[in-house]
Amino acid sequence: MRTQLQLRVLIGLIILAFGIVGGLGPVFAQNPGVPAASEVENLKKQMALMEEQLRQLRLQVDKMAGQPVAPGSAGPPAASTADPALEKRLGEVENKADAALTATKKSFASQFNPSLSLAIDTIGSYKSNAQGFNPGDGTGTRDAGGRVNNSRPAGADFNLRTAELFISADVDPFTRAYAVINASADAANGDEATMGVEEAAIVTTRLPYNLTVRGGRFFADFGTLPHRHDHDLPFVDRPPSIDTFIGGESQTNGVEVSWLAPTPFYLRASGTIGNKLGADSREGVTNVNSRPIKGLTYLGRLQTYFDLNDDHNLELGGSIVETPNAEDITNSGRFERRLVGMDFRYRWYPLGSGVRQSLTIAGELLHDIGEADPVNGGRRTDVFGNPVRQGAWGGYVYAEYRLSKQWRPGFRFDYFQLQSEPLLVTNPLTGLPASTLNATGHRTDNRTWSPYLTWFPSEFQRLRLQYNRSVRGNAQSADEFFLQWTVFLGSHSHGFSERE
Amino acid sequence: MISQWLSRFCGLMLGVVLLAGEAHAEEKIYIVTSLPDLADIAARIGGDLVTVESLAKGIEDPHGVPIKPSFVPKLNRAQVLIVMGLEYEHSWIPALVTESRNSKIVKGNSGYIDVSLKVTPKEVPTDLSRAKGELHPAGNPHFNLDPEGGRLIAQTIAEGLTLNFPQHRATFEANLKVFLAQLNAKIRDWEILARPLHGVKFISYHQDFTYFADRFGMDYVGTIELKPGIEPTASHLVELMQNMKTVGAKIVLREPHFSEKVPNQIAAQVGGLVVKLPIMVGGSPEVKTYFDLIEYNIRELLKAAQVAGVAGKV
Repeated sequence: MRTQLQLRVLIGLIILAFGIVGGLGPVFAQNPGVPAASEVENLKKQMALMEEQLRQLRLQVDKMAGQPVAPGSAGPPAASTADPALEKRLGEVENKADAALTATKKSFASQFNPSLSLAIDTIGSYKSNAQGFNPGDGTGTRDAGGRVNNSRPAGADFNLRTAELFISADVDPFTRAYAVINASADAANGDEATMGVEEAAIVTTRLPYNLTVRGGRFFADFGTLPHRHDHDLPFVDRPPSIDTFIGGESQTNGVEVSWLAPTPFYLRASGTIGNKLGADSREGVTNVNSRPIKGLTYLGRLQTYFDLNDDHNLELGGSIVETPNAEDITNSGRFERRLVGMDFRYRWYPLGSGVRQSLTIAGELLHDIGEADPVNGGRRTDVFGNPVRQGAWGGYVYAEYRLSKQWRPGFRFDYFQLQSEPLLVTNPLTGLPASTLNATGHRTDNRTWSPYLTWFPSEFQRLRLQYNRSVRGNAQSADEFFLQWTVFLGSHSHGFSERE
Repeated sequence: MISQWLSRFCGLMLGVVLLAGEAHAEEKIYIVTSLPDLADIAARIGGDLVTVESLAKGIEDPHGVPIKPSFVPKLNRAQVLIVMGLEYEHSWIPALVTESRNSKIVKGNSGYIDVSLKVTPKEVPTDLSRAKGELHPAGNPHFNLDPEGGRLIAQTIAEGLTLNFPQHRATFEANLKVFLAQLNAKIRDWEILARPLHGVKFISYHQDFTYFADRFGMDYVGTIELKPGIEPTASHLVELMQNMKTVGAKIVLREPHFSEKVPNQIAAQVGGLVVKLPIMVGGSPEVKTYFDLIEYNIRELLKAAQVAGVAGKV
């Protein structure tokens, strides 16, 4: 009732205001001569003001018309003549609405819980001999050369590679944070479940100039597959070249600054300072000895993307890791180590049918350059005692074709040179170090051919069959079969860097 | 001499600044939408004040738009992002917004306009479990196929734009009024036009014609998908065809992004026919605006119902 009264008063005021303006009109007209321009302006302004007031009033009327009658008040006369049964029902509805509203107002201590998801990744495998590779977990021991020694026994095996918990939430208006906690029960550890913090990082969300800072432990921005978690890879195992040159994922502890260029096309740059790269601790992780600033690892990456047209696109990237003062594996000296990577990804994804038919071709090329001699310790020298920087190449390329929403066959080829062969032999023709020959003249490079087939019963479940044929210079070749079964529980959202 | 150069330089700089100011003043509001229907309606509401761009195109699978890095610079520059909501775009928009580093368009901020706010969602799961499928956790998000949904979308967009750009309130309101007047007239026509569709039984590949069917009194018999987002199993298809035969359903709707193989087989089995219907603007070459979308779908269904002999009498 009060609202109606207010309405009437307001309408009355408006009428009064109109009356005054109307009364003033003739006054202006009686003025001799043409009215000054400023007066016309004033009038216009007044009219605009009136119009605005009218509009406000109309809004208020609309609002009141839509407002439910407060319980206990008499209500408009129309309601009093209404059906009492209807009123009873109305009362019931009101009570229900009130109850629902009250329920929503309750607060729970768990309301601010972060989002959770769990990936379970389990692998059954058969390996013809021990030369083959572990399925990409980087947990193997190191051989004399400081590289992953694939000590996993030959034969049949079941392996719970990952039970990985992903936790993330906004911290406050300025930052978010996430952690990836992994428990794996690997036969290599005597089937004891080991718990590890794979990532735990803080990320800024509101920095100006398109900048983002990430700090903590994270998978450093190097290449495309090195910073993916095992269960997010397009294959069962991490490409052997990546596993060898980086050592599992590109994990580091440090700080990263990334920048999105304000260009019409996608261009992103990042720089990281960390204490290492990957599970490989060749870059001097020991804190027993003091580490100079030069002993840290510095990373940089530049990546871009182009839509060739609606259906074809290309992604290109380049990365570099530099450890100016790395510690070699036998802990006997500090020498430079540099790793350079180039990556590409071509995708044919027809707009209308890409979900069920598409093609991806992607690859990475790495070049590892080091001064240290991981076998004998100290600086690497050639037969004449001159210091040598030795390089090794590695990389992979794969193609994956999506036959339907559920089926994706693919093929991967991987190649890498072992940087750490037992003896360095100089190529007699060029006088340069011949890194792919060892003392007995056998090749110590490694090739792996891997056809694979992935089946997605749903977005959250995946089965994958893979065969690896590895041929390694002076060792026996190996055949491996994998069957991988992966599921995702909880809020498994696709992050930008894990995009397909 | 120096002073002359200096004055020329100052004049030049002033000119540059003025020009820059001028350019800035003429700059249009840059709106990015997830789907083309939103772009069409937002362009109607914003009129000459805005430039609108939709990330997805009409023939794509709206639930599974690939996360293209080329979307990132667009979102980075966007002053407003308009989405359907109800988790429609959950597999691609959140990741892109995070990467865009544009805090204006983060969910919860004013630049993020969710047009589902006024919609009463249908088929809200009572039991939220992935066993029930993966794509409609907040209820069916395909409310754009009902012209009344279009009304709510337009109203929400007008309100959202007014919130972000209060200085243009009058323009947005006037444009909304014009749009709604046209829509109201169209809805009256469509309701008359679609009368023969009343009671027509149909299936579709994905559960996306719920709001449309309810509006025009059609009878949804089932979907080819087992659950939203889950491909059919053989036993599900057998059951579906049995069901269609029992109730006499002849019409199989196929959305452009689904394969035609299974719908064709089902239609052949039950003696019905397949109708390819867009679920977004641009999903068919003839469908260029939101009004086209509704009109096209009604007309195609009418044609099919007549051919199948299931059209009701007016």
